[in-house]
Amino acid sequence: MEALLEAALRLAAPLLLAALGELVVERAGVVNIGVEGMMLAGAFAAFAVAAATGSPALGVGAAAAAAVALGAVFAAAAVLGRADQIVVGTALNLLALGATGLALRALFEGGAPTAPGVADVALPGLAALPGVGPVLFRQSPFAYAALALCAGVALALARTRAGLVLRAVGEAARAADAEGVRVAAVRVAAVLFGAAAAGVAGSVLTLSQTHVFTEGMTAGRGFIALAVVVFGRWRPLGVLGAALFFGLASALQFRLQARGSDVPYPVFLMFPYAVTLAVLAFAAGRAQAPGDLGRPYAREGKAG
Amino acid sequence: MEKRFGARAALEGADLVVAAGEVHALLGENGAGKTTLVNVLAGLVRPDAGRLEIGGRAVDLRRFGPRAARVAGVGMVHQHSTLVPAFTVEENLAFADPAAGRWFRPRAARARVEALRARYGLDAPLGVRAESLSVGQRQRAEILRALDRGARVLVLDEPTAVLTPGEVRALLPVLRQLAASGCGVVFISHKLDEIRAVADRITVLRRGRGVGTVATAATDARSLGRMMLGRELDALAPRRAAAARGPVLLALRGLCAPGLREGSALRDLELEVRAGEIVGVAGIDGNGQRELEEVLAGVRRPSAGSVEVAGAPVPLGARALRARGVAHLSGDRERAGLVAAMSVAENLLLKATWDDRRFFRRGRFDAEAAARHARACIEAFGIVPPDPERAVGLLSGGNAQKVAVARELAERPRVLVAVNPTRGLDVGSARFVHERLLALRDAGSAIALVSTELDEVLALSDRAVALVRGRLVPLPDGADRDAIGAVLLGEAPGVAAA
Amino acid sequence: MSALRPLAAAAAALVVAAVAIAALGLPAGAALRALAAGSLGGPAAWTATLLKTAPLLLTGLAVALAFRCGVWNIGAEGQLLAGALAATALATRLAPGAPAPLLLPLAALGGAAAGAALAAVAGGLRAARGVSEVISTILLNFVAIQAVAWAVQGPLQEASGAYPQSDALPAAARLPALGRVHAGVLLALLAAPGAAWLLFRTPLGLRLRAVGHSPVAARFAGISPERHGVTALALAGALAGAAGAFEVAGVTGRLYQGLSPGYGYTAIAVALLARLHPLAVVPSALFFGALEAGAAAMQREAGIPSVATEVVQGIVILFSVGFALPRRGA
Repeated sequence: MEALLEAALRLAAPLLLAALGELVVERAGVVNIGVEGMMLAGAFAAFAVAAATGSPALGVGAAAAAAVALGAVFAAAAVLGRADQIVVGTALNLLALGATGLALRALFEGGAPTAPGVADVALPGLAALPGVGPVLFRQSPFAYAALALCAGVALALARTRAGLVLRAVGEAARAADAEGVRVAAVRVAAVLFGAAAAGVAGSVLTLSQTHVFTEGMTAGRGFIALAVVVFGRWRPLGVLGAALFFGLASALQFRLQARGSDVPYPVFLMFPYAVTLAVLAFAAGRAQAPGDLGRPYAREGKAG
Repeated sequence: MEKRFGARAALEGADLVVAAGEVHALLGENGAGKTTLVNVLAGLVRPDAGRLEIGGRAVDLRRFGPRAARVAGVGMVHQHSTLVPAFTVEENLAFADPAAGRWFRPRAARARVEALRARYGLDAPLGVRAESLSVGQRQRAEILRALDRGARVLVLDEPTAVLTPGEVRALLPVLRQLAASGCGVVFISHKLDEIRAVADRITVLRRGRGVGTVATAATDARSLGRMMLGRELDALAPRRAAAARGPVLLALRGLCAPGLREGSALRDLELEVRAGEIVGVAGIDGNGQRELEEVLAGVRRPSAGSVEVAGAPVPLGARALRARGVAHLSGDRERAGLVAAMSVAENLLLKATWDDRRFFRRGRFDAEAAARHARACIEAFGIVPPDPERAVGLLSGGNAQKVAVARELAERPRVLVAVNPTRGLDVGSARFVHERLLALRDAGSAIALVSTELDEVLALSDRAVALVRGRLVPLPDGADRDAIGAVLLGEAPGVAAA
Repeated sequence: MSALRPLAAAAAALVVAAVAIAALGLPAGAALRALAAGSLGGPAAWTATLLKTAPLLLTGLAVALAFRCGVWNIGAEGQLLAGALAATALATRLAPGAPAPLLLPLAALGGAAAGAALAAVAGGLRAARGVSEVISTILLNFVAIQAVAWAVQGPLQEASGAYPQSDALPAAARLPALGRVHAGVLLALLAAPGAAWLLFRTPLGLRLRAVGHSPVAARFAGISPERHGVTALALAGALAGAAGAFEVAGVTGRLYQGLSPGYGYTAIAVALLARLHPLAVVPSALFFGALEAGAAAMQREAGIPSVATEVVQGIVILFSVGFALPRRGA
């Protein structure tokens, strides 16, 4: 049981990181479905840099940078250029898919090496606690980072003025603008933050969960992160719960598979997506979305 | 304190000079340019030409945005709330204030609002989300916010448009008090009696031009009206003698419907409208007008009761209502069922796609017949420019409304539900709509007129009621406006409290 | 100006991709030459191009139709696979029982129906529960991919059991040849004017467009945005499902994993480049079809992975987004 919970948190980490980033973006009123592409780009960048330098830390940094580059494109087109956010996100996903495939081929023609892994960190003393110890305190550093980010985002949204400004921009951009808030700047900052989070989430895939990169390896995890935000009702704690739920579902899936079951492998793979759909169908999430979500903002009477 | 200003575009050489310690009214019809002028002052609109001086200092208009306006001491209270609906009053005051520091402390924020309340005597509740506040409370919160920012010039854009007469009576002394404390208060309105009650000086705009500035004491209603309209104030179109009234064509029986917010749920509505009469439903926005409109348009399901047409209950749905001869005309283009991106011809037929065999036969849409029909309507209703393929969104407000009127009235419906039909229209277009409504009534249709413009209701209706907190209440006949105001507020005896 | 913008977008995308390839130290010149030769350089190349154009045309129409109605259909890929799956199931399992002339129409219609049904699930979730169709159609893509995998490893697997693929479709279920291509290409070409006729010359099309422009106004005009959203998705799904059926019945002859190299996602680029107009989808699909055909040659001869074309698609979309899309209703 403990092993199951431990695996759940470990598997939830990338989802949680990406979802928290997207949470901030959506609370600012922007929908970024390009999370998938950003995770993929992050996964590749982490893999390439870590394999080349032997340093996972540099890999994580590269992952964030690569994703932020994509995020800058998104911000330029969708926030500043006010193009449709769904369309731009789709474009970025395609771009990332193609670019990472190209780069994989170009850089690792002879065969890809494996990336150095990131070891678990056990917190002294706490790890020895019965029950909770092995689950919470002997975890991959990414899990710790994800939990810390969750707390940080929650605090920032509720108790800092910057958090209030962000929420105002997402709920009522016009009102925020009339108060002198630079709506575009806030949204760009949110997008870049979300991109960085998605990039780091991607690095989990190639530095912690596996140690190789394959084309399209994110396989929809970015989209599940979007669903996690909705399921979590755009609140950090809700997102935490939702991410853990999916982590648990994945862990169960692996456990059942390992036990050898009559259920065919593809059905297992279908499982997370089907569960997500079911959850979305039965959890009424629409009502609590930020008021101005998805609507580009332009002040009337002024150019751009 | 002086502000001198002249700009072009929607404004042509409009000037406004406001001194410290005075209440200065800005008067003009809809579309005269009042809002544009103050939007320039608030940094929301950049003028093409002109000068702006605040506190004796000229302002660089190329760089004058809302932030700069705030720093210069301009505080604006808009007609439509600019509070963040999901935030409480204290959150609304805190979020945009750079001086408030990095952290948001709820208790400190509340204390600050309380201090402001005490100092200015304006009440606005704490801890409640702005979207749940009444219009009057929201307005007071916005004034508090402007004062909190250190506004020395306070601009209120049509503040009394959404208040009951009682609330207006409460607001006006506050404005005088603010002026007395050294602010310059600019107060936009087209209600002569309020202006005369509170303003020291009045600037009149007409069609984007300044017509003149007068001291209130030195002028009277007639001359102000003349300045505003350019001619003697006409009486509104005289009500013609009602045609003989026929059978009941539209009836609401025990109608109940859930509300969009507090106090707007419909409760047990009973109403009858006969052939050849106009029944007016007056009321202040937010008392159930939207819900009533949506039920009568077939877009909202009543929770109890029924709507009857010619004695028979109608099943829910816009199509069912239309099939029974009920037309719906709204002053809000989208609610009128007009799609801005589609052409005049297509909009004219939008409600008919299911069954009108003249244009839709065996799964085909006859575009030529549609164009012919459109040209006929354009001619009959004077729509300009006369192009059936032109997108409705490119038409002026008045002409777009004519498209809606053409669609709803051309078939001579036996019942018409008209909701704020002249909202946002200039005087000429509004008169056109009123004339058509009267003509339809004289031809024997039953018209239910729901409007938040009391004058419109009183001028057109044969009989009038009021919609107050979701209930229909009789309006005193020909009584003075204060009595009517009391009824609208729900203060009259015999009206059950919410 | 109207035709220039898409042309410029397409050209610019190619240029950017070439620069990117060169920057990575890969042979850009050889890549472009192989691309051109493989797509336009002779009857064999043209055949490949047309074969790739057909599914892109149908899925492009599927996406354009849905987008115009205010519904984001990102699930054309899954709808295509569902169509391929259904067509294969019908053709290989019904063959003994059904009369030969009926087999092909049944398979094609079954494919369309399966695509429509999958899309309708997303539509239903949107109408009844307010679930964003962006997320649901994407999730259904992954479900469909795994459904195909399960089918070819399980119930539909070929009799010999050697590979994870279905039996070959019986001859009666194959699309007749039309010169060097299959009849599906012609059907796809006819679908474009068909879709245009639906949108602009039928009452349903008028209603769908109204919903796409302004759901509020449509509702007050007696048109239910939710119901029409489902209709739009079902129509789109049918087109994409037909594309899948044509792929197995005309090109591959059997069902296997990886049948679609991402047609459903490329379709988004196709639709946007065509500015959502059904007739313009034809040249747009041709462009991307040529790209796909050339990409295979590019991989063979210059060693550039064919996935590089996704870069072109992404850039085309970015350059195309200046165009007006029907406003998404609140």
